[in-house]
Amino acid sequence: MLNKSVLLLALAGLSLSALAAELRVMTHSSFSLPKDRIAEFEKQNGVKLSIIKGGDAGEMLNKLILTRANPIADVVYGIDNTLIAKASTAGILAPTSSKVGRTEKDAQLPGAVAVDYGYVTLNYDKAWFAKAKLPLPATLDDLAKPAYKDLLVVENPATSSTGLAFMLATIADRGEDGAFKWWEKVRDNGLKVSKGWSEAYYTDFSRNGGSRPIVVSYASSPAAEVFYSKEKISESPTANLLLKGGVFLQVEGVALLKGGKEPQAAQAFVDFLRSDGVQTGLQTKMWMYPAVAGTAIDPVFAHAQKPAKFSNPSLAAMNSKTAAWVSRWNRLVVKQAN
Amino acid sequence: MNRYRTLPALLPLAFLLLMVAAPLARLLQEGHAGFNLALLQDSYIQWRLAWSLGQALATCALALLIGLPLAWVLARFDFRGRRLLLRLLMLPFVMPTLVAGMGVLALFGPHGLSGMNLQDTPWLLLYGNLFYNLPLLVRAGVDGLEQVPASRLAVARTLGASPWRTFWRVEWPVVRPWLASALCLVFLYCFSGFGLALLLGGQRYATVEVEIYTLVAYELNLADAGVLALLALAVGAAVALGYAALERGLARPQRLAPTLRQPAQGWPQRLLLAAALAVLALCCLLPLLAIVWRALQADAAVWAMLATPEVADALGNTLRFSGAALCLSLLLGLCHGWAAQRWLALRALVFLPFMVSPVCLAFGLLLLYPQYSASVWLLIAAYALLAYPFVAKGVLSAAAALPPQLPQAARTLGATPWRSFYRVSLPLMRPALRRGLAFAAATAVGEFAVSLFLSRPEWATLTTLIYQHLGRPGAANLQLALLLSCLLMLFALLAFVAIEWPEKNHARAD
Repeated sequence: MLNKSVLLLALAGLSLSALAAELRVMTHSSFSLPKDRIAEFEKQNGVKLSIIKGGDAGEMLNKLILTRANPIADVVYGIDNTLIAKASTAGILAPTSSKVGRTEKDAQLPGAVAVDYGYVTLNYDKAWFAKAKLPLPATLDDLAKPAYKDLLVVENPATSSTGLAFMLATIADRGEDGAFKWWEKVRDNGLKVSKGWSEAYYTDFSRNGGSRPIVVSYASSPAAEVFYSKEKISESPTANLLLKGGVFLQVEGVALLKGGKEPQAAQAFVDFLRSDGVQTGLQTKMWMYPAVAGTAIDPVFAHAQKPAKFSNPSLAAMNSKTAAWVSRWNRLVVKQAN
Repeated sequence: MNRYRTLPALLPLAFLLLMVAAPLARLLQEGHAGFNLALLQDSYIQWRLAWSLGQALATCALALLIGLPLAWVLARFDFRGRRLLLRLLMLPFVMPTLVAGMGVLALFGPHGLSGMNLQDTPWLLLYGNLFYNLPLLVRAGVDGLEQVPASRLAVARTLGASPWRTFWRVEWPVVRPWLASALCLVFLYCFSGFGLALLLGGQRYATVEVEIYTLVAYELNLADAGVLALLALAVGAAVALGYAALERGLARPQRLAPTLRQPAQGWPQRLLLAAALAVLALCCLLPLLAIVWRALQADAAVWAMLATPEVADALGNTLRFSGAALCLSLLLGLCHGWAAQRWLALRALVFLPFMVSPVCLAFGLLLLYPQYSASVWLLIAAYALLAYPFVAKGVLSAAAALPPQLPQAARTLGATPWRSFYRVSLPLMRPALRRGLAFAAATAVGEFAVSLFLSRPEWATLTTLIYQHLGRPGAANLQLALLLSCLLMLFALLAFVAIEWPEKNHARAD
């Protein structure tokens, strides 16, 4: 008798878990949300969230494009304004909108719903500059001068979306030829190129034992330095170097995938990302600003500055020319051909 | 060739077909319309190819030059802590590239303990290659030299041969096949290398694999990537076939009276031993020590973060995934190694998982099996794919050294082929099998399989967790990543000791 009821219970449990539909969410590798928020969403919508990480944003998008005949996910989070046009051209996104929250950032991401944004820019090591008694560079052109030789490390745009965003900002500001002239000059002035953000920040940046006091990172990084400091410090050891032509506005969003299952749950997930709980929670998890206007900003972001200006190429230009720009950049900077 | 040797081949062949050949073919099919060999006339591509080949060959030469004398000393002299040292030598394999890079820079970086700043010089690049690859060669050399029959050495010395002459005429022929297989592996690793060399030497030293990665993952240019991947495969296949042919000509059965080790006597021998240990420590252990030293400076608050469920889950996953991958590797490795003894192509195929561009493989698997792409089975199969060649290699080397009379005698006495294998051949191969398994474990614990495939947050292993923390700014993230790296080393060391636990009835257990 007891055995039978245990069996029945087990069967009931099995059928329940089989009933709970699965929503497959493709994200880039930096995706992170508070666990209790995710549990709350699963409970409210009766679905099980399967988060699938597909690598860096660019790599993730290509995986989606390659498998569009048999979609491996129902929703994608992490497509940004450098990639949205490519995603639309490839025809992998289903029309997506959200009635939750208001933001002018949606305009940067046609075909998707904006969730968060941030700025790719230069960070510098305060202690290094104080010790060297060197004035901070006032323009990007200063970085090509002998006084600033061997000080800058950037990520390769071919393997890092951070590096790509910075290169795009220089092109938007100076035009293609002007930008590549600048890159040639900084290359000759001892530019260091790293594979990705982690490599640049943790092996090349002077703050972490490297030799370069200026690194391409995010405008929110100084705030994260305070948040993750060993003993709680009140001032960040790093700061932003917001130079003209060296700031890129990155907007990240979420979209439904064509051929995906569970359209209702997928739409609920889109709205969930725009809900106040997520918009508040994502700030100190992913170190981005919430896209929804009026969301309370975490106090630690006082250590980061919001740049007043940024330079982004048009979405159309980023779609049609990025591959050629990256290839030209690598020939010029890495191979050192002219 | 009998069916008892060919039948087991079916399992690894099917596995390679499903996990390597089919996904690669699927990816090539996707891009084949645009295949254009003009790509190979591009000076930029030629430069990358030439550099890939050049640095791989240079590392092989350097590893042989430094590794063989070290192996000889470790194989001939007994000293306290010798067994532990041989296990410690496998730790570089486990280290995430980025952490290893931080260890090396802590020694030779701008603020390095050595006082020398070698960052962005070719020296540091070669050092990085040695850090990962020297242990492979040293372990293979020690294994090979231990097969030299004591009697033969004694005869040579009695007949008046100098130690030098004894080495060339007696020891070198025995150790050669072991070195050949290790060198083949070193070449393949360096040729398709993506890691430490690039991190330490800078982007100028990118290999052709970096180009393939960019073409596939960022540009989705499968046509050009396909051409390059095929070319890289051809180079790898040529090297592996060359090795297989060489090893077949070299292998010979050995007597079962291995040379015994003796403590170093007199100051020349002691000096030799000390010098060898110093070189080994410098090349392989110092960067690891630097990581431990930096990690130990972590604050109490960061130490406390080790006790979170996040870390416990990661440890559990590391144990589960590497355990599952090892079981599969043992089965595949035994079958492949045993079947490949007399089959040249099958012997070369042992190295197939290292010849194929990893990023092409990852995208090919995604294309071919979209419905399984985020399943744990595919993940474990991928781990096993990169781990089992070590087991197969160990079985191959050990099987070549088996005296044929023993299984023949067992068969004459009426044992079935299976019984003769299980009761005679397998016990004789056990030490080599365990060594292969230890290397396989190191591969499975390391980062090889994690970065390119789809993953789920709940699958986070120690390596993934380390990279997650290094993906954010802040001192606490850095310190926790370093502490986790120490935990990873400790875990790996325990695994190595458990796998190669000394056997009671063997006097010479390593």
